[in-house]
Amino acid sequence: MLDPAVHAKLATLLPPSALLTAAEDTKPYECDGLTIYRELPAAVVLPDTEAQVAAILATCHAARIPVVARGAGTSLSGGALPDRAGIVLSLAKFRKIIAVDPLTRTTIVQPGVRNLAISEAAAAHGLYYAPDPSSQIACTIGGNVAENAGGVHCLKYGLTVHNVRRVRGVLITGEIVEFGGEALDSAGYDLLALVNGSEGLLAVITEVTVKLTPKPLLAQVALAAFDDIERAGAAVGAIIGAGIIPAGLEMMDQPATRAVEQYVHANYPLDAAAVLLVESDGTPEEVAAEMAEIRRVLAEAGATEIRISKDEAQRLLFWSGRKAAFPAVGRITPDYYCMDGTIPRRALPHVLQRIGEMSAEFGLRCANVFHAGDGNLHPLILFDANKPGETERTEAFGAKILELCIEVGGTVTGEHGVGVEKLGGMCVQFAPGELSRFLGIKAAFDAAGLLNPGKGVPTLQRCAEMGKMHVHHGQLRHPELPRF
Amino acid sequence: MNAPNELSRAPRVSTDAAAVSGVVARLRADFGDRAATTPAVRDQHSHGEGLADAALPDVVVFPHTNAEVAAIVGLCNAARVPVIAFGVGTSLEGHVAALYGGVCMDLSQMHHILEVNAADLDCRVQAGVTREQLNADLKGTGLFFPIDPGANATIGGMAATRASGTNAVRYGTMRENVLGLTVVTADGRIVRTGGRARKSAAGYDLTRLFVGAEGTLGIITEVQLRLYGVPAAISAAVCQFETLEGAVDAVINAIQHGIPVARIELLDDVQMDACIRYSKLAGFAVKPTLFFEFHGSEAGVAEQAATMQEITTEFGGCAFEWATKPEERTRLWKARHAAYYAAMAMKPGTQGFATDACVPISRLADCIMETKADIATTGLTAPIVGHVGDGNFHLVVLFDPADPGQRAQAEGLAKRVSLRAIAMGGTCTGEHGIGVHKLDALVVEHGEAVELMRTLKRAFDPNDILNPGKTVPL
Repeated sequence: MLDPAVHAKLATLLPPSALLTAAEDTKPYECDGLTIYRELPAAVVLPDTEAQVAAILATCHAARIPVVARGAGTSLSGGALPDRAGIVLSLAKFRKIIAVDPLTRTTIVQPGVRNLAISEAAAAHGLYYAPDPSSQIACTIGGNVAENAGGVHCLKYGLTVHNVRRVRGVLITGEIVEFGGEALDSAGYDLLALVNGSEGLLAVITEVTVKLTPKPLLAQVALAAFDDIERAGAAVGAIIGAGIIPAGLEMMDQPATRAVEQYVHANYPLDAAAVLLVESDGTPEEVAAEMAEIRRVLAEAGATEIRISKDEAQRLLFWSGRKAAFPAVGRITPDYYCMDGTIPRRALPHVLQRIGEMSAEFGLRCANVFHAGDGNLHPLILFDANKPGETERTEAFGAKILELCIEVGGTVTGEHGVGVEKLGGMCVQFAPGELSRFLGIKAAFDAAGLLNPGKGVPTLQRCAEMGKMHVHHGQLRHPELPRF
Repeated sequence: MNAPNELSRAPRVSTDAAAVSGVVARLRADFGDRAATTPAVRDQHSHGEGLADAALPDVVVFPHTNAEVAAIVGLCNAARVPVIAFGVGTSLEGHVAALYGGVCMDLSQMHHILEVNAADLDCRVQAGVTREQLNADLKGTGLFFPIDPGANATIGGMAATRASGTNAVRYGTMRENVLGLTVVTADGRIVRTGGRARKSAAGYDLTRLFVGAEGTLGIITEVQLRLYGVPAAISAAVCQFETLEGAVDAVINAIQHGIPVARIELLDDVQMDACIRYSKLAGFAVKPTLFFEFHGSEAGVAEQAATMQEITTEFGGCAFEWATKPEERTRLWKARHAAYYAAMAMKPGTQGFATDACVPISRLADCIMETKADIATTGLTAPIVGHVGDGNFHLVVLFDPADPGQRAQAEGLAKRVSLRAIAMGGTCTGEHGIGVHKLDALVVEHGEAVELMRTLKRAFDPNDILNPGKTVPL
């Protein structure tokens, strides 16, 4: 229930259609992609100018009301989960592409612009926006910045933080601040890097300048089969170790390929223990040279079969299974848990072997689909929540996987963010020295702790439990979207 | 751009003589010969390169381990005595001057390469490892660390100042190439940031916050770096132009075409003159000149070079002068890296300091041409060099230190360059950092955001002991 005085103040700032308080209106905002957590906010506001955003934030700051910013609501870690006592600030109306500058290869966009819409707008100049989270047809650039989103191509082209030049945002006090600048570097502390991946805890983003990348003339993908999963893991290291940074380097194990084959019919080698997809892009000469080298390394690493896409249609077919892996797995199991740990690449064979052993110990199947080049794992634990004790076993299994990731020098979240989901994992990964720096940063931006409270950085009380994403009978938010 | 004495910002640290002598005595007791108080050592640690406005530390201490660094910082924090991290003293903006005395922490004896992980393309080094030492050590692995600011700086110093250099256009700056750090914070804690994993969405980006913080938020003791495969083919070329504008436009066009050049360096006619004389470069004219380097496969390099030659020809460039042998390339880049000394040698007895403007590539021609005209009005000698592929260029402004009027004029020119870059949507510093000389420009560039930087500084270093008087005006 929103304080009447605050409601009255907000009503002077916004038209009635942009201030929602009735439960039937706020219901669509009760959760994001992590649907096991749900909460109705006291109100939802839909401003369409930066001045309105600033006034809303100043109002909430004065009244000590929490604010949760929201883009498309595709977060997988609860980043946009509302606060019961607070408002949801939707940036859905900030949809303008303000400028595309082919000379500097940048574009200035409002935060509600969809990731893919940027590439569409830049296409006329032979450019595109490189980070490509699988939800790119729906997710917004503001959310991408807040979560430092990755994607299949970030191995070569970097994460969001590497592709954003400047962010304009509003602090909880209503002050408007610019982070970074239009040039390659910017003076002073790297506040731009702090805002990237800050999960809406530091500022509400109102404008973003992103870098654009020239579209490669050619892209080709190699599909390699291995009869041993550890050998496939070692092949990933061999490719990188040979100094090749492929445009994409993805891996699926047998449970995953078998699940997707029934779904996309991409003619994957189903007897293989693991399949690698290795993409090369550039000029035809560069691609030819790199592909020859990739083929050599894969063969040396013991690939039992190597196919190279002959044309664009075949390239997309090779990728189709990888992109559809999650919905495909959803068809063969009542429930699955998705993990998001990241490990140093060289630990891949060891970690895969351990996950295999744990799968046997816990008596639960596990399909592995992941950004192997970055060492970003998305193990999917298959289970049935209706079987007594299976959910608990799954949680224990998942927690063990994340502990393993930290043990080998990795992190509990590669790209989905901490949100509400991984507060527990943060305590395992970070020592009090680091956690207190995080809290210091938060206090410097938002001393009252009103922006997206209860997310991102844990209090010690929360340091008890590891989190996971739980999908029950396809109750994934926006199940139609490809993910990961 | 400003002499430190103009920045009459009151120190927030104690300059209490008893506190300082207590710390000095304790360090002498604990570190013996590794805590030096001789005038020669203190003087050597009182300044970097660039403007010689020296400020002496009271003691110079040479730690060997993270634990020693933590103990020293803890001691200084308790006594409210400044502590300034020092690598090899190649910074250009007065970063290492001990403005309020205190302890200089010389990290050059922390010079071990801790691990090289070829399969992960990364390595971990102590802060005192130099760039050349690292690359010498990597020989034979097929890997290299590309960031090359010219000087043989320490990796710790390069991280602290967010250095870049001649090939940032291809490989990025330290921002893109530091994967993780070990940092000693003001309270004497040892904190590890980032890690071996290539990506992490956990927590705020402490790594990038410490990178470029110039030792004001913590002291970097270890750095995890990204490495790259040595390219199969490397070739370098030189192209001379009739006009400066033609050379700059050729660069802009090349970037727009997306040619993945590893380095593009611009030397104006004045700088070329200096380099020809200083580095005995035969066969070149005193004309605006571009140095290129191409990395890739044999085919890729040939293709890049051919496209580049087409572009330069269009803008009045001459035929490429090739340097494909490693020793020829080395000679060429040595000449480029000696540009600062070559400039100084033009007018013996003068001092020089470097400006560091960086603008969006679309404004580069405007910024350079306006600056060239501005130099002419001052009558000063100020050659232009630049890693123009990323919009970053430098003047080496020469002045007679005995002539206060000339120094003021030189500083005025430098200030105008900074403000011009900021007005064009750029920055006052592409790679050298803020130090003491650009505090005012930082405020012009970032406005409201400086208040956030200030708050962060106070949160990380409440007693203002870490490199006080630098980077962020308090």
